[in-house]
Amino acid sequence: MSNSILNASGIVKTFLSGDRRIEVLRGVNLDVAAGESISIRGESGSGKSTLLHLLAGLDAPDAGTLTWEGSPDTGAKRRAAFLGIVFQSFYLIPELDALQNVLMARRIVGHIGSAERDRAKELLKRVGLAERMDHLPTQLSGGERQRVAVARALMNAPRLILADEPTGNLDEHTGSAVIELLLGLCRETGTTLVLVTHNADHAAKCGRQLVLREGRFA
Amino acid sequence: MPWYLYLAIKQLFPTGRRFPFFTAISVVSVSLGVALLIVVLGVMGGFGYQIRAMITDTEGEIQIKSRGLISDYPGVVKKVAAVPGVAGATPYAAGMLMVQYQNKPAFPQMRGLDLASIDRVVSLGKFVRIGSLEALDDDSVILSGGLADALGVRLGAMVDIYTPLMLAKKDGEVILPRTARVVGILEIGHQQLDSSTLYCTLRMAQDLYGLGRDVHGINLRVAPGAREEEVAARVNAILPDEVRAFSWRDSFADFLWVLQLEKNMMMFVLLFVVLVAAFLTMSLLLVLVLKKTREIGLLGALGASRRQIALCFCLQGVGVGVVGTGLGLALGFTVLHFRNDLVRAITHLTGGQELLARFYQFSELPEHLENRDLALIVVSALVLSTLAGIIPAVMAARLKPVEALRSE
Ligand SMILES: Nc1ncnc2c1ncn2[C@@H]1O[C@H](COP(=O)(O)OP(=O)(O)OP(=O)(O)O)[C@@H](O)[C@H]1O
Ligand SMILES: [Mg+2]
Repeated sequence: MSNSILNASGIVKTFLSGDRRIEVLRGVNLDVAAGESISIRGESGSGKSTLLHLLAGLDAPDAGTLTWEGSPDTGAKRRAAFLGIVFQSFYLIPELDALQNVLMARRIVGHIGSAERDRAKELLKRVGLAERMDHLPTQLSGGERQRVAVARALMNAPRLILADEPTGNLDEHTGSAVIELLLGLCRETGTTLVLVTHNADHAAKCGRQLVLREGRFA
Repeated sequence: MPWYLYLAIKQLFPTGRRFPFFTAISVVSVSLGVALLIVVLGVMGGFGYQIRAMITDTEGEIQIKSRGLISDYPGVVKKVAAVPGVAGATPYAAGMLMVQYQNKPAFPQMRGLDLASIDRVVSLGKFVRIGSLEALDDDSVILSGGLADALGVRLGAMVDIYTPLMLAKKDGEVILPRTARVVGILEIGHQQLDSSTLYCTLRMAQDLYGLGRDVHGINLRVAPGAREEEVAARVNAILPDEVRAFSWRDSFADFLWVLQLEKNMMMFVLLFVVLVAAFLTMSLLLVLVLKKTREIGLLGALGASRRQIALCFCLQGVGVGVVGTGLGLALGFTVLHFRNDLVRAITHLTGGQELLARFYQFSELPEHLENRDLALIVVSALVLSTLAGIIPAVMAARLKPVEALRSE
């Protein structure tokens, strides 16, 4: 318990759509230890994205508790330093070039100096985009964009990375490359990874594999 | 630089890309509104300023008038000139005359000038286009440009002058006019004054009107920096009740009031142009917020607070306001600078240059933008643009990150 990065217990989430209640999560328990890599699979609509948003503190559960490194503070300020998120559809800011998109993660929580600039450049080098730093998102391919998003998620040296189907918009080959990169970087930096994916091969590369079914981990 | 300011600037003016449509349209509309206000208020203000300059250039800032005539004017002048804030005083006589030249009659206003003291109050000399003020003596006159043209008079011509006094003479007597040589032609630049005025010495005016040693009034020049109204009040304090001092503002109060009213109405109406520009900015910003919903979600996921997200969009409204106002000022002052060329070009196309001069009493379009008006224009453009950013900003801030991220 002492080196638990993230702990969720009894998480319940219900959506009201019209007068229908959709019970998406019915008591999810999850404990993630530092340095672990976990994959979450599940059918479409099983609530994987919903769970990830809850774990990221972007939404509040109807019941259950969430702690980050033992602390219940999951506010915006702490989130920026504690975790990085990678989404299925990249979400890069179209007006900013690759370097500035990576720096944006830092800009929101603090000052940008030459040290931060160097770190962002270093990260972009690590994801293989050394030559593309001043390119705008529209000038990059899907795989390249997702690699920028990975670099952005790592920018603040977070303890945890949450990735929601990061390969969903990529072809097989590119997707595998991105997953390898993500796993490699997390292993290198000791960052914990929670990866939501449909792909069994990608899931198999993680240390622990979970399946979400009927609102619980099976 | 805080991230929301950085992102606001980047979204308004992205580097290495074409000016975004949104920025271009809203900036142009704001700047057109501002330019319009600058030009219209500048010209309107110019009329007031020009009239002031014209009055004070020809009559001084303060006029002393009496219910009847002012007798012992040297005494009054001496007393008044000693009042603090008075830089000079000169007596005058004024009235209507008939002038005839080669059987052509005209009915100008006469102004009798005291050559010994006139320079202390007004520098009429600089308006003399042909001839000179120094040449004026008790047997000569200076005519305004319009009068000289109407009579067909050249420098050195002899004109006949009839005064109302002659009408009072007994029947059967032959009326003999007074003849005078034209020694100058004077042009002030004001249609009314230039159309029909005759300048002569005070003594000649006194003769023509049978005033003896009396005068009609005294013109005062106020010392630089002194306030006209205060000086007029101080002068009044030492004058007998039937003799009063009026500042030029008093004399033209009605006219100035109408001018001010007109200007305020113009300002009010034209502010709607800026208001419409602000609405345009607002609707374009609203579209931008909708377009950027998912990015707003991402910013939230990266740790941005609602307040910061709101600021990011509000600042884009401010940015449009600042750039639009800046460009509007540049455009407005450029148009003001070339206003006479523009008017000339327009009247050249449509005709009617004389009509314009006659109607507005000036041969050139004047321009004078008061600091107060300029400040009002700038402040209202900035405030309206900022307000235009607030509603989209609130909308952006109310988006929940999860919902924003889910809006595919
Ligand atoms: N805001 C909401 N209002 C109503 N229903 C919602 C809302 N958010 C999610 N849901 C429902 O919750 C269920 C789970 O959605 P979620 O996006 O978590 O699924 P998922 O496992 O990520 O699916 P996919 O693999 O397709 O991404 C879905 O049935 C969805 O319709
Ligand atoms: Mg999903």
